[in-house]
Amino acid sequence: MYTKPLNEATLKLEQGINALVSSKYNPFYYHGALPQFYLWVLYLSGLLLFAYYIPTIDNAYDSDKLINAWTSVDYITNHIPFGAIIRGIHRYAGDAMVVTILLHMLRVWFTDRYRQYRIVEWLSGVVLLALVLFIGQTGYYLVWDDRSLLLTRMTCSALDAIPLVGQGIKTWFLNGTEVTNYTMANFLFIHIGLSFTLLFGLWIHYVRMTRPVLTPPPVINYILFALLLLVVAWFPIESGKMADLNAQPTSFEVDWFFLWPYWLLTFMQPAIYWLALAAGTVVLCLLPYFVRTKPVEPAEVLEKNCTGCSLCARDCPYQAIVMVPAPVTSRFKLLAVVKPYRCSACGVCVGACAFDAIDLPNMLDSDITAQIKSLAQG
Amino acid sequence: MADANNGKVITLVCERSVDLQDRIDENGCLKEMPGVSVVKFPCSGMIQPLMVEAALKAGASGVIICGCQIGDCYYREGNKMIRDRILGERPPGLKKTVDRRRVVGFWLAKPQVARFLSRAGEFVAQLQQLGPAETAAPKPAPKPAAGEKPPAAESP
Repeated sequence: MYTKPLNEATLKLEQGINALVSSKYNPFYYHGALPQFYLWVLYLSGLLLFAYYIPTIDNAYDSDKLINAWTSVDYITNHIPFGAIIRGIHRYAGDAMVVTILLHMLRVWFTDRYRQYRIVEWLSGVVLLALVLFIGQTGYYLVWDDRSLLLTRMTCSALDAIPLVGQGIKTWFLNGTEVTNYTMANFLFIHIGLSFTLLFGLWIHYVRMTRPVLTPPPVINYILFALLLLVVAWFPIESGKMADLNAQPTSFEVDWFFLWPYWLLTFMQPAIYWLALAAGTVVLCLLPYFVRTKPVEPAEVLEKNCTGCSLCARDCPYQAIVMVPAPVTSRFKLLAVVKPYRCSACGVCVGACAFDAIDLPNMLDSDITAQIKSLAQG
Repeated sequence: MADANNGKVITLVCERSVDLQDRIDENGCLKEMPGVSVVKFPCSGMIQPLMVEAALKAGASGVIICGCQIGDCYYREGNKMIRDRILGERPPGLKKTVDRRRVVGFWLAKPQVARFLSRAGEFVAQLQQLGPAETAAPKPAPKPAAGEKPPAAESP
């Protein structure tokens, strides 16, 4: 297995953390729940920002009463009590979410927990990561400083390079043919609308897992939030100059968590850029298929022994067992049925069954019990 | 060690937990401790409480259940499942007549072989103090002796 050294390194690292904080409080054991926590933080802080944000680009006249996206962000930052902190939390929670998603992804990859019966989780995870990155980028347009303008123009010129559909996507993106007030309304809709689409994606991500770990122990959440507040206090957010449609900004500060695609665009031809992004996504999606392993031999139910008690279906960690009405010849109401493509052959169902009614075909529990008995007697 | 007073100790171990591959002989016994034999499972969640009962009934003096560190099951929940089953918090449980002092749980990662051996040694010594097992004796389960932890409390 090509990830074997990485797996061993991960286990060693986690063993060290266990020695420090005990396995109950090891953040690595809640790696999927960490980005989920930051998502809730983003929803709440985003709600507060949304209350005062005004999605227009109006700057036809320059006066103290000018109201547009940039001035509303400025108002949030400088006039609303704790506004700067909420804005900072929203911004850095986004960065933290990307970091924790990457951690999550690397861990499942290194420890070989992303293939076969976990394929739906992996593929939906790749889509979710792409969505999160795009949503984060749209957040940078909303501030409407000179960086926002530059990013918008770079996006448009990159979209121009896509044959056939590029123009259509660009019209959708700008909500017209050029940057107008309608563009900002669209940006805000994309930012918020797609954020809620994440919930649908997460449902797909979780649907094949029984009892997914969605929340770490509260103390880990407190620490995550405290870390966030520290960063907010140390690195306060500042907007750039208000965007001026007549200006030609040429450089911008890169947020490496979200804006690296724009860094790529600074030295790649748009066509190559799109090809590279597509190739990267395809490689990520195909990663589980690069490893050749023997197929899973799914658990099998012995119909005559199954009492329909549902313990195996309840304990199966991958939702691979469903209870169906038993055949009329049965004395019982229900019968367990294995969905082979979801089964990991872990044997938890065998451990759950007190009636010898479910078995791994290559490892019968009667054989194991016989082996245990002979060892105990010998 | 196996002697006139004591039967064997059966270790039911997850193959992703502590790596005993190099430590067992052809009969499935630990080289360091010939009285301790090892049975491997794809996941500790596959261990049935019935298997623990069968081992003790057949004359084993104790059973070691060894899974991955709690929180880190490769198949997500197997080690928590068997822990809860042995503790009676999840069906199917262990019979009340089973002497709880003769069942122990270790939750160890793959590289923690030394830790496994020292803990197994302590357990074997404890079993020797207990003397021969009274198999299938229908009396209430004794409380764990002072200083001894129930299986779940064993943290790696």
